[in-house]
Amino acid sequence: MSRAARLRWATVAIFAAAIGASLSHASTASISLASQNFTPYRTCTLAATPATTTSIVDTTVKQASATSNFGAATTNSVSSGASANQRIYVRFDLAACSPAIPSTATVRLATLRLYMTAVPAACRTLDLFRVTATWTESAITWNTQPFGTTINNPASGSRSDSLTVGTPAGCVNLVAGYVVGADVTTDVAAFVAGSASNFGWMIRDDTEGSATVRTATFSAKELASIGQLPELVVTYVTVP
Amino acid sequence: MAIVRRLAPSLGLTLGGLVLGAAASLALSSGTLGAATTSTPRCTTAGLSVIQNLSGSTVISVTVGNIPAACGGAVLQAALNNGTTNATGSVTVAAGGGSATVVLGTAPARQLADEVDLVFVGP
Repeated sequence: MSRAARLRWATVAIFAAAIGASLSHASTASISLASQNFTPYRTCTLAATPATTTSIVDTTVKQASATSNFGAATTNSVSSGASANQRIYVRFDLAACSPAIPSTATVRLATLRLYMTAVPAACRTLDLFRVTATWTESAITWNTQPFGTTINNPASGSRSDSLTVGTPAGCVNLVAGYVVGADVTTDVAAFVAGSASNFGWMIRDDTEGSATVRTATFSAKELASIGQLPELVVTYVTVP
Repeated sequence: MAIVRRLAPSLGLTLGGLVLGAAASLALSSGTLGAATTSTPRCTTAGLSVIQNLSGSTVISVTVGNIPAACGGAVLQAALNNGTTNATGSVTVAAGGGSATVVLGTAPARQLADEVDLVFVGP
């Protein structure tokens, strides 16, 4: 090939390279990514089974039996009455979730589910409070409970959430079954992120010391009724 | 031929450009192209409620609630893992959202901890 011919080929090749690059960029820029929606969630449901599990603990403390422990009882109760108040303590160990919930996960919703077996005749508001000190299922009593023995303490304003139970119309939870409305998302998010320790929740009547005793009764894990287990349902995403 | 050898990289670049051009004509369903990435759109960031429905001591379906209207028409896929057994199912979310129940192909036993993975595909 002559030198002139080589130069012509070189010119053509360089031109082609330039056009190719141009086409490449133009084509890339014109790509329209039109992916359909893809929305993933992950859920961990903790249910108190078997009844001997220590990952989920629940009990009632009773003002009228202030030094007694009811950790082995098959029911739990929230009650309001003169010197007859009762509170529930419950805790779910999130470490039981498999796979583990990453500390960086975003908790979208966490719901505490308790199965109510006896509904009070009056509509009552039950308050959920995040417990801030340790307690054990087999030892806690009214007198030793983390929140102390003063009724209506802590103040309702510091509750994590509340729900209403009772047979009258207007109450959210009118009949026996799993109660709805116990949203503990903020607390669980703090547990997951490590910004708060998980000592569970205490549930009490919003107005303790009622002249007429009002009681809501729930199935405890010790009842071992697979359809009435205390549950915590945590829905989260790992990429917000 | 020395010139041709020197031009070979340019020709390669040209061919590479053409290949990229051809790839660009594909229908892309992924949000990733080469080294670049982009977020995949989602129909919701809402807090979905998830309830496992039992038959005896086994989970036969999963009801997902709080589904916003934006997810109406999407296919909701659910996979439950109880540590030993997997079960899957899917259902199309009704227009308007609300709740949807996914019937599982098998019925895993209720366990202390169950994982349920949910994916809305579309709409």
